[in-house]
Amino acid sequence: MKKNLFIPFIGLFILAICAFYYFNQAPSQKLEAKQVPPVLFEAKDFYKNELIDTQNLGDFYIINFFASWCKPCLAEHPLLMELQSKGIKIIGVNFRDDEDNFIDWIEENGNPFEYIIRDDGSIAYEMGLIGVPETYFINNKIIQKKIQGPLFYEDIETYL
Amino acid sequence: MKILKLTSNFLLVIFLLSLFSIGYSNENKLNDYFKTIRCLVCEGQSINESDTEFAINLREQIKIKTNSGMSIKEINQELIEIYGEQISFNPSKNHFLLWLMPLILVLVILMFIRNKLKFFYKK
Amino acid sequence: MISNLGNFFLFFSLFSITLFYTGWSKKIFTSDKVFLNLIYVTSASPFLVLVIGFAISDYTVLNIFQNSYIDDPIFYKVTSAWGSHEGSILLWIFLINMYGIFFLKTNNNKEIHKQIIFISSLFILYLLISSNPFQKIELDTTLEGLGLNPILQHLLFIIHPPTLFLGYIGLIIPFVLASHILISKNFSKDLFNQMLLWSKLSWFFLTFGIVLGSYWAYSELGWGGWWFWDPVENISLIPWLLNTALIHSLQVSIKSNQLKLWSLNLALYSFIAAVFGTFLVRSNLIVSVHSFASDPLRGLFLIMIIAYLFIVTLRLNIKSVNYFNQDTFKIMSKETFLLLNNIFFIAAALTVLVGTIYPLFSEIIYNSSVSIGAPYYNFAFNLLMAPIILLMAFAPQIKWGEHKKKNNQTFYIIAISIVITAIVYYLLGNIFFALSVFITMPLFIKSFLVFFKKISKDRGFFAQWLAHLSIGLFIVAAVYTEQFDYEKNITFEKGDSNEIVLNEGASLLLENIKDSDLSNHQKISVDLIVVEKNLKYSLSPSKNIYQPSGQVTNEVSTVNRYFDQYYATISMIESDKVSINLVYKPFINLLWISSILLVFSIFLSIIKRK
Repeated sequence: MKKNLFIPFIGLFILAICAFYYFNQAPSQKLEAKQVPPVLFEAKDFYKNELIDTQNLGDFYIINFFASWCKPCLAEHPLLMELQSKGIKIIGVNFRDDEDNFIDWIEENGNPFEYIIRDDGSIAYEMGLIGVPETYFINNKIIQKKIQGPLFYEDIETYL
Repeated sequence: MKILKLTSNFLLVIFLLSLFSIGYSNENKLNDYFKTIRCLVCEGQSINESDTEFAINLREQIKIKTNSGMSIKEINQELIEIYGEQISFNPSKNHFLLWLMPLILVLVILMFIRNKLKFFYKK
Repeated sequence: MISNLGNFFLFFSLFSITLFYTGWSKKIFTSDKVFLNLIYVTSASPFLVLVIGFAISDYTVLNIFQNSYIDDPIFYKVTSAWGSHEGSILLWIFLINMYGIFFLKTNNNKEIHKQIIFISSLFILYLLISSNPFQKIELDTTLEGLGLNPILQHLLFIIHPPTLFLGYIGLIIPFVLASHILISKNFSKDLFNQMLLWSKLSWFFLTFGIVLGSYWAYSELGWGGWWFWDPVENISLIPWLLNTALIHSLQVSIKSNQLKLWSLNLALYSFIAAVFGTFLVRSNLIVSVHSFASDPLRGLFLIMIIAYLFIVTLRLNIKSVNYFNQDTFKIMSKETFLLLNNIFFIAAALTVLVGTIYPLFSEIIYNSSVSIGAPYYNFAFNLLMAPIILLMAFAPQIKWGEHKKKNNQTFYIIAISIVITAIVYYLLGNIFFALSVFITMPLFIKSFLVFFKKISKDRGFFAQWLAHLSIGLFIVAAVYTEQFDYEKNITFEKGDSNEIVLNEGASLLLENIKDSDLSNHQKISVDLIVVEKNLKYSLSPSKNIYQPSGQVTNEVSTVNRYFDQYYATISMIESDKVSINLVYKPFINLLWISSILLVFSIFLSIIKRK
C-alpha cells in the first residue's frame, strides 16, 4: 500500500537536495598536494638559453602561464610587475604563442619574470592548465594555490 | 512460400542499399577517444568538437603521446590524474551505483509488482 | 505602452483567477465557462503583446532591447520573443492557457479547470516576481538593439522550442485529468479516452520537437553529431519516455480495464518530469550548452512549483490506496507485454534522470565532479531499450487477455534473425551494428508478414505498424551512422594542389573562396567538391560575421549521397591556407526519414480518432 508513496517522497527528497545544492554553490577548488611536474625544469629559458636553476629559485616562487593573444594576461601584467619589484620570483610560461608576437609583447609591456619558458602545450598539459592566464603559487615544491583567470589585488596582497 | 520469398527479397534490397554506404569503421579510433574527453572550458562539449585552445592543445598533446607509444588507456589514466575525474565522460567503475543503475531499477520495479508476479507463479 | 499593456494583462489574469477560485466570479458571470474563457484569454494575451513589441522593435522594453536588432529580418524579430528565459516562460503561460481553452471545448468540468488555472497562476507569479519580460529600460531610445544570438537565427529555431513546449505543456491535461480521476474515484472509460487523446497530442509535439532539435544541432553545430546526451536533451527525453509508456499503458486501461493506477501515475509524473526538467536547466544546476543566465530566485520558484506538483501526487496516491492489486491477467497476454513495456520505459527514463543529476550528487557526496556522457548512456540506456525493441516485434499481434499459444513462427523469425546477424557481422566486422541488427530484425520480418495479412485494416493499425517500423529503422540508421562515420581535417595551402586525396576512390577539390555582404552579416564561403570516380558532390561551408556584435559563426554545408551525407565546415581560414573539416555520415538520411515517419504515424493515430 505504501509503495506508491515511495516515488513522491523520493522526488521531494531529490528536489530538496537540488535546492540545497542550488543555494550553497561553493566553488570547489580542492587541490591535493601536487608536485610541480619535472617537465617544467627540462625546458630552457628563452633569453638565457639555460635550464632553470632551482637553487636560485628558492622555496617559494610563482608560475604564471600567459600568451600575447590573451587579453586578461595583459590586464594582470602590472600586478606581476609589482610582485617582481618585491623580489618574488616568477617563472613565465608562454603558452602556444607565435615567437615574434611573444617577443614584442614582452618588450612593449616589460618582463616581470625571473625565467621565461616557451611552451608548445606539453608543459600546460602536465600542469593541468585550463586556460591562460593561470597562476600557480609554489612552496617547497608543492603547489599551494592555483588561480584560474587574471590575478586580482586580493590574490597577491599577502605576498607583497 | 510467397511470404518467405517476399521477405528475402525485401531484406536483400535493404542489404544492397546498405552496400552503397562506405564503411570506415576503424579509422577514427583517436576521434572516438576525443569524444569521451570533456572540454573543461566549454559547456558540456567534448574536445573533439571544441575549437578552444584548451581543446586544441589537448588533442595535439594526446596525439603526440599516442605516437610516442602510449596506449589510450595509459593516456586516459594520466589525464584523470592531472585534471580530475571530470575530464572523462566515462565515469570510473568506482561509481558503481551509476553502472549498476539499469539492473537496480529493473529489480526495484519488479519488487514493486511482486504481488502480480506471485500470481504468475501460481499458474 | 507594450510594457504597461503586458503587465496589465498579467495582473488582471491573477485577479480573475482569484475571483474564480473564491467563487466571486459567479457574481459577475453566472456561467463558469464564460469566465474560464475570459481567464484563459487574458492570461494568453501578454505573450501576444510581447510578440507585437518585438515586431515593432519597441526598445523601451529591456527584454526586446536585449534580444533583437533593428536590421534583423522581421521573421527573426518576432521569433526572438521566446529566445530569452523570460520570453520562454511567457510562452509557457500562453500555451497552458491555449490548452485550457481547447480543453474547455471537450470537457468543462469546473474542478479540472480550477487546477489548470492554479498551475497557470503559479507560473504567472513566477514571471512577475523574478523574470518579467516587460521590465522597462531607462536609457535613451534611439537604440538599435543588441541582436539575437546568430546561432539562433535559423528556421528550425523558430519551430523547435514552441513545438517542444507544446509537448511539455500538453502533458498538463493528462495531469489534471489523472488528478481528477483519483480524487473523484471516477474511473470512467470516457475520461481515460480523453487522457489518451491529449497524451497523444503532447506525444506528437514532443517527438516532433525532439527530432527538430536534433536536426537543428546536426545542421548548425558542425560536428555531424545529432544527440549529445546534453542535460537539456535528456530532460526532453525523460518526459518523452514517460509519455510513450503512458500511451501504451492507457491502451491497457481502456481495452481491458487494467493497469489503471500505472496509467494515472504515469500521467502525473510525465508532467512533473517536464516541469522538473525545465527547472534543472534554467537554474544552471547542470552545466550545458543550453544554459541560460541564472538568477537565484528563478530556481527557488520553480522548485516550489515542482514541490507543489509532487505534493499533489503524494496526496493523490495516499487517497487511492485501495485501488491496488486489482489487476489480473494471463501470463502470455498483451497486458503482460505492456506491463513489461511500462517497466522498461520507466527504468530507462529514471536511468537518464540519474545520469543527468548524478554529477550533482557526486559533488556533494564524493566532493569530486564527475562527467557523464555518451559512454554511460550508450551502455545503460541502450541496455534497457534492447529488450523492448525485441518485444515490440511480437507484442502487437498478441491478443488481449489470452494466453498466447505456442507458435513456430516466433522460433523461425528468431532463427532467421540470428543468421542475418551473423552474416552482417561477418561482412562488416562491427559488433554493435550486428547487435542492432539482431534486435530489430524480428521487427522487420514481423512487420513484413503482418503488412501483407492486414493490408487494408483501419488507420489505427497502420499508424501503430508504421510507428514501430520507423523505430526499428531509426535504430539501424543511428547505430550504423555512429559506427561507420568518418571525420577528416584537410588543409589546402596556397601554391599547393587544390585536390587532396581522402581515401582510395575519393578526393576533395577546392574550387573557390568567396566573400559577400548580406543584410546583417558578412559571409566568407569555400566551395568544395567531393570527387568519387564518376560522381561529384558540392559543398559550400562558410563563416558568417554578424552585426552588431561581431560574432562569428560557422555555417555547415551538407550534400546527399543516397542515404548518406557529406558534411563540411571551415575549421580555419587564413590568407595562405584553408582547413576544412569533412565528415561522412552514412545512413544519416535514413535516420531523419525514419524520425519523420514516426512523427507522421503519431499524427495518423490522432486523426483516426476524430
